[in-house]
Amino acid sequence: MDSFSSPSMSSSGSPANTEALMDQIKAQLAQAYAQEFLETVGNKCFAKCVTKPGSSLSGSESSCISRCVDRYIEATGIVSRALFSSTR
Amino acid sequence: MENSAEMQRFIEQEQQKAMVSEMVGKLTSVCWDKCITSTPGSKFSSGETTCLNNCAQRFLDMSVIIAKRFEMQ
Repeated sequence: MDSFSSPSMSSSGSPANTEALMDQIKAQLAQAYAQEFLETVGNKCFAKCVTKPGSSLSGSESSCISRCVDRYIEATGIVSRALFSSTR
Repeated sequence: MENSAEMQRFIEQEQQKAMVSEMVGKLTSVCWDKCITSTPGSKFSSGETTCLNNCAQRFLDMSVIIAKRFEMQ
């Protein structure tokens, strides 16, 4: 808490440095979140849509996958709203 | 490191975001498996939407009960 009392933030000339570091961390985090989400969606939709893998993805499998991805994104929204709107 | 207070605040914020994001991700995965039993259509049925909603909220209720159960001991 008393680390807030140090007034050297603007005088030290390094806020730009800190800001750049924070931006970099944010970008890497965003990438990690996206990667994890993609992996999950891939697993879920593969399980739902490609029940018997053939020699190539059929048209119906492809359309199932794109619907599945849309629904998974929608489900994520429903779940986060259910968590944070009613209980707070 | 300079600006350690600012940095620490930033890290705490991001940690909180990460926790929220992990929870939402896990719950979505669990509730998707429970509620979406057929192949995904172009729209959720009202039953599926309700199930996802209930699933997330009941999971919270359950977490409270489990926490209380351990406090009792």
